[in-house]
Amino acid sequence: MPFVPNPELGNRIITLMAALVLVLQIAGVGQRGIVSSIRIFAVQSFLLGAIAAVIAYFNHASHIYIAALLTIFLKAGLLPRLLERLVERIGIRREIEPLINVPLSILISGGLTLLGYVVAESFYHPEETSARAALGHNTLAVAIALFLIGFFVMVNRRKALTQVLGLLSLENGLFLAAISLTYGMPLVVEIGIFFDVLVAVLVLGILVFRIGETFDSMDVSKLRKLRE
Amino acid sequence: MILLGLLIVPLAAGPLAFFLRRRHMMEVVNLAAFAILLGLAAVLVAQVLRSGPVSLWDGFFYADALSALVVLLSAFVSLVCSIYAVGYFRHEEGSGVLHAAEELGGRFAVDKLREYYALMPFLVFAMTLVGLANNLGILWVAVEGTTLASVFLVMFYGRETSLEAAWKYAIIGGVGLSMALFGTILTYYSAYGALGTDTLAGLNWSVLAGNAAQFDKPTMRLAFLLILLGYGTKAGIAPMHTWKPDAYSEAPIPGAAMLATGVLNCALYGLIRFYILSSRCLGPQFGSRLLILFGLLSMGVAVPFILVQKNFRRLLAYSSIDHSGIMVLALGFGGPLGILGMLLHMTFHSVTKPLLFFCAGNVQQHLKTDLFQKAKGGLIHSMPLTGAAFLMVTLAVTGSPPFSFFQSEFTVLRAGFARDHFVLAIFFVSFLVLIFSGFLVHITGLVLGEDPGLPAADMCGWKKYSVAGLAVVIVVMGFWIPAPLFRLIQGAVGIVVGG
Repeated sequence: MPFVPNPELGNRIITLMAALVLVLQIAGVGQRGIVSSIRIFAVQSFLLGAIAAVIAYFNHASHIYIAALLTIFLKAGLLPRLLERLVERIGIRREIEPLINVPLSILISGGLTLLGYVVAESFYHPEETSARAALGHNTLAVAIALFLIGFFVMVNRRKALTQVLGLLSLENGLFLAAISLTYGMPLVVEIGIFFDVLVAVLVLGILVFRIGETFDSMDVSKLRKLRE
Repeated sequence: MILLGLLIVPLAAGPLAFFLRRRHMMEVVNLAAFAILLGLAAVLVAQVLRSGPVSLWDGFFYADALSALVVLLSAFVSLVCSIYAVGYFRHEEGSGVLHAAEELGGRFAVDKLREYYALMPFLVFAMTLVGLANNLGILWVAVEGTTLASVFLVMFYGRETSLEAAWKYAIIGGVGLSMALFGTILTYYSAYGALGTDTLAGLNWSVLAGNAAQFDKPTMRLAFLLILLGYGTKAGIAPMHTWKPDAYSEAPIPGAAMLATGVLNCALYGLIRFYILSSRCLGPQFGSRLLILFGLLSMGVAVPFILVQKNFRRLLAYSSIDHSGIMVLALGFGGPLGILGMLLHMTFHSVTKPLLFFCAGNVQQHLKTDLFQKAKGGLIHSMPLTGAAFLMVTLAVTGSPPFSFFQSEFTVLRAGFARDHFVLAIFFVSFLVLIFSGFLVHITGLVLGEDPGLPAADMCGWKKYSVAGLAVVIVVMGFWIPAPLFRLIQGAVGIVVGG
């Protein structure tokens, strides 16, 4: 019997993978080493690319394959490599010192995940029983949670590079929202966004490098000369 | 065709300036590119006025009166700033500031200038694209592009403080814009039910605007909130304004003036486009309340910082927070009057604000400080032109008659009364009065007073004529707005109000 793509099965796979993405995000919150944070980001991005591919396969939306490939190539391959290089060049391998300790941070992340579900709940219309709506519901919650946790990471970490990682994982949340809610943005927009993310990382990378050079540290809490 | 021309000219000027070796060639490339751009923008305005919206490539690029206005203002400030930039950077080079930067960054002064002259056209390209993109996703990409191109402007001098300012700017801007992207995605989602298409047109504003009434309302509500926070961060409205004083005081003057006018317009333009969608989908009430809240908050936040400000570069940034607050408030008041007030204010702001920056730049180059405390006052004796212009432009930006801001702020006030927002209107006026007095105390203290015996300021023609020329434009605009410009603004008001 030939295998017929069944949207129901697809949704289950996607929900499972989205849950994994969320778990990785929370693991990233608990992580103390910069390099391992970068690797977690890479794995997370790879999973997102895979989610995009699954959505493309089960919904015959071929243009999402391109987004999937771009994600895997850029976010899981090129960007982590660039960031690791940067870490080597600055020569800082000390541990990340979060403002809030790890157990409490993870607890907060759990709370943010709940918040994501509460927000997503308000967009769920039970009268639309289509598989899409259900898929949108679950993954939107995960996407909002990724966004909020990414934001939390940026506030909680003082190292410049981990703030960049927070920004990138926040962007991952947006990507998940875009592919699961609307099966991706129009391709031109998608490519534009990838280009922007790439340039943003280059710009931030140069900044991190210059900050590391000038201040002998990547600790952004040392950036406090400009005050009223 | 005209739309392509508008995009290609700045896009070509960037790499061209990058590969040139001599300073004055780079200057010529910038000046020529922006002069051509302004000419093309004028042609676009004429076309839009004559025959309505212009579009290209199945509506991928689209220019109606609102876009034409923003593109025209972008082109105008680019040209004005590039004229001043010539004088400014020659002075910086002459006084060795760029050589000091060279020791920090290990580069030569010409390389430093190349950075500026090659990146500025990219910034202008992104600003033009903001105005011409029909697709809201591309609009976002372009706004993000303005941020990325201008981060280098902020870190231009390579001082510790510049890096700090650039970091804040990039990170706060990045987070803000990611919220705007989320808002864009949710807008797309809320339109999905009504349009149900995966094609490119699904995010085109001209398509969305026609169907906004059928969007999913709860999603659109969250989308607009995110857009307001996102593009609001870029426009520097409180409480997301904290990057602004740092970025404006660290960037070189012409760059800071571009940030304060052109880039600000781009962020507000994005906000207006989504405001139209939101008010057609949810009714004007929802967006208005939020906009009024953030607008008044920004004005209120600016007041104490303006009153006690010690640094005149930061003073300008708080003035910019105040003005973006006024524009957001005017959008919130809404109605034909409110929108007219906002767009007039945007136009006058783009014409007037650069001069304020140029004067501050001249003073800073003359005194080698940006602190009020270290300046002894009496600048009118050593730099009569800049001193007089500084006083005049101070009166203009604080909204005193006969200057044009008086008209736009009065229109905003009328819009507030027309909507029965009496208490809010009283707050609006009292903030304006406080800011006026704060500004006047600071700037008169700086410019007037006894002669402290400083040598006459070293002003080359570029600096002199850009200050004097812009001052003339500002005075004329107080009494007379060119008829086509006013028709364009009215056309744009019609688009926002609908019908």
